[in-house]
Amino acid sequence: MLAYIIRRLLVAVPTILLLIVASFFLMHFAPGGPFTSERPLPPAVLANIEARYGLDQPLWKQLWDYLYNIVVHFDFGPSFKFKDRDVNDIIAQGFPISLTYGSLSFLFATTIGVGLGIAAAIKHNSWIDYFAVGLGIAAQALPNFIMGPILILTFTLWLGWLPGGGWNGGQWPYLIMPVIALATSYIGSIARITRSSMLEVLNSNFIRTARAKGLPTRTVIWRHALKPTLLPVVSYLGPVFVYVLTGSVFVDIYFSTGGLGQAYVGSALSRDYAVLLGVTILYGALTVIVNLLTDLAYAWFDPKIRY
Amino acid sequence: MNKYIRTSLAGLLTSTMITGAAFAAGTHPTTGEALADDQTFTYRILDEHSSVDPQVVEDVSGAEIVRDLFEGLMNQDEDGNLVPGVATSFTTNDAKDVYTFTLRDNAKWSNGDPVTAGDFVYAWKRAVDPALSSPYAWYMELMSIENASEIIAGEKPVDDLAVKAIDDHTLEVKLSAPLSYFPQMTTHATTFPAPQKVIEEFGDAWTKPGNIVSNGAYVLTEHLPQERSVRERNEMYWDNDNTIIEKVVALVINDENVALTRYLAGELDRTEVPAGQFPRLQKEHPEEAISFPRLCNYYYTFNLSEGGPEAFKDPNVRQALSLAVDRKIITENIMAGGQPQAYTFAPEATAGFTVPDVEMASMSQAERDELAKELLAEAGYGADNPLSFEMVYNTSEAHKKVAVALSQMWKQKLGVNAELANMEWKVFLEERGNQNFDLARGAWCGDYNEASTFLDLLQSESGYNDGKYNNAKVDELLASAKTADDAAPLYTEVERIIAQETPVIPIYHYAGVYMMDSDVGNWPVNNVEQNWYSKNLYKTAE
Repeated sequence: MLAYIIRRLLVAVPTILLLIVASFFLMHFAPGGPFTSERPLPPAVLANIEARYGLDQPLWKQLWDYLYNIVVHFDFGPSFKFKDRDVNDIIAQGFPISLTYGSLSFLFATTIGVGLGIAAAIKHNSWIDYFAVGLGIAAQALPNFIMGPILILTFTLWLGWLPGGGWNGGQWPYLIMPVIALATSYIGSIARITRSSMLEVLNSNFIRTARAKGLPTRTVIWRHALKPTLLPVVSYLGPVFVYVLTGSVFVDIYFSTGGLGQAYVGSALSRDYAVLLGVTILYGALTVIVNLLTDLAYAWFDPKIRY
Repeated sequence: MNKYIRTSLAGLLTSTMITGAAFAAGTHPTTGEALADDQTFTYRILDEHSSVDPQVVEDVSGAEIVRDLFEGLMNQDEDGNLVPGVATSFTTNDAKDVYTFTLRDNAKWSNGDPVTAGDFVYAWKRAVDPALSSPYAWYMELMSIENASEIIAGEKPVDDLAVKAIDDHTLEVKLSAPLSYFPQMTTHATTFPAPQKVIEEFGDAWTKPGNIVSNGAYVLTEHLPQERSVRERNEMYWDNDNTIIEKVVALVINDENVALTRYLAGELDRTEVPAGQFPRLQKEHPEEAISFPRLCNYYYTFNLSEGGPEAFKDPNVRQALSLAVDRKIITENIMAGGQPQAYTFAPEATAGFTVPDVEMASMSQAERDELAKELLAEAGYGADNPLSFEMVYNTSEAHKKVAVALSQMWKQKLGVNAELANMEWKVFLEERGNQNFDLARGAWCGDYNEASTFLDLLQSESGYNDGKYNNAKVDELLASAKTADDAAPLYTEVERIIAQETPVIPIYHYAGVYMMDSDVGNWPVNNVEQNWYSKNLYKTAE
């Protein structure tokens, strides 16, 4: 197991390096640069700025300096757009926010989704099943960029219960709408996968055996059916976890949460190279780690899997 | 000018003395309105500001904050007129190439240090210093300060900048060319003073709350990037007794519809109205929906460079396309925010600018359409030989609506095939700047309130002239306008030539379209540059 983990982490290094190199060149080949503006800068002014940020160097040299600073100083470079902040600052400020509402959304979506799915499967073809399936489909049809405005109109404008945006250090009134908006569409998918997986498990031979030896239904479900049911759910949840952190740009835009999603998209649009690369690396590393955790979780859920 | 400033200053000082007691009673010193207990002004900004460093800031939302935090030599009043800031007066020589400013002796930084002429010298040298590499260094060149260009180009040392502190309260500037509107240019953030000690102590982090020291009516007390920034009254400000607003909060809200919802929920005192929603909001909230002219234009430019389409080299074709644009439909049905229709490049709201009698403006749309058909037929285009080209704009809902309307008007009236292409902002700028287009959208907001800020775009050598329009007469008129005592007739003449030759299709001029809480007093709607100062605002009790 330990050897497996070490092997996986070692493979991650070239993966992320490849990601950096590919992103670096893609980014530099996109038309326009960080200082392209509607009022083109006079050549002398532009030259001074490029010299300051090392953009006058050949690309390979820029890439080398960039990697060198990361490895040696753990410095991900300056922001070209926000003059008094560097990439480390931007990530240190935005990532905890994304992580907070992302994790909460993930927990919320998983709890409700799995609960609905199990309920629907146990009470197959009853009103609970229809209700759960209906709710799941409705939720899936509401992506966060639809949920955002709906929630704000309802809870801020009409009911006046919740503030329309901001973060305020993550106080709960500011958290409710972002968490719900981000979680809704995942609830639907999770419920659907859980339900079909549970139905399949409940029809399998070992469950029939468990029932035949007279175990109460509750024990059958919790002790025997739940773990194998969750296997396909876990493989879906891995990418979702990364996605609730990366795909949160709409939440950041609608609720002014100040998370990293907005900084990421904003940096791509303004060609803020170092910020864009820094966040890409963070998300890349996160994906590698979460994938590893997902694979390790398989072993726990399914005794047949061994590393 | 000099005398005028002294008189108005005397007026200010007197009003300070009289009004000291009035605030305690909660009424406005001059209007007598009852003031609200909570003097917090909260407004929306579209995007996180780039910086609050006066020499570095380059975006509008940042400049708005900097205008509250720092004070330059001169300020603008509600109508955009020049009023004293840190300087109480200035004099100039006959050649108008040396300016001497006298600074007030009661101006202080928020840490209690006096504001001196040396703080301005430091700031101005900093602005041109290649080591700082300010994106607004060119502004000092535009101000024609002697040696600014050479310093930026690295040909001379920073200390050669021709700005000098004669004593703590006298600042002298030498210009490389006469400039009659030099004092007007000192209302711009790049020219604001900077606290040398603080900058040397904290480096790039000097603008963070806690570190920052400023000399304006407010100090920065909180900054949560992508969320909000807060500035609060600066007790050390020389005119603090006359400041009414205690606290100003700028909330970053990227989506304008969300901002409007939050405004309607009472979270904001001011927000922009999304395109097309003004009529409804005006009906529902007549006291809060406001619209006033702004110093910006919206146009399409023809590519007149060598590689541009052959068809556009014929002025008749260009004129026909311009004539067929029904500007009324665009301003009233699409933008619907009180934007004036445009038949000239510079907006009518520009100071000292007389709009010429452009023939097209006085015609009815039916007459214009008729003439457009004739001109296009004359140029050899018709049903058997239809004119086709591509029009590009940067990705945005409002730009798309306008582009679709234009192409439909041309299709229906003239049988012209205009193909639409939208591009992401930076790609669009690159393509337009390299003349890789047939017809491209453009918009320009004046850097200062004078027609040349717009008309210079059509000067053949201008770096902003993306259409590469080249007319020797226009160049000559613009050159003589720089030194003329009265440039207005020259600008009018330039517009007349532009109307004939149609290198651009002016569509509309901008309006400031806001939802503004009716409690907010003294918003400068007549300041077409929208240079507003929180210290001049107040909130009345409901």
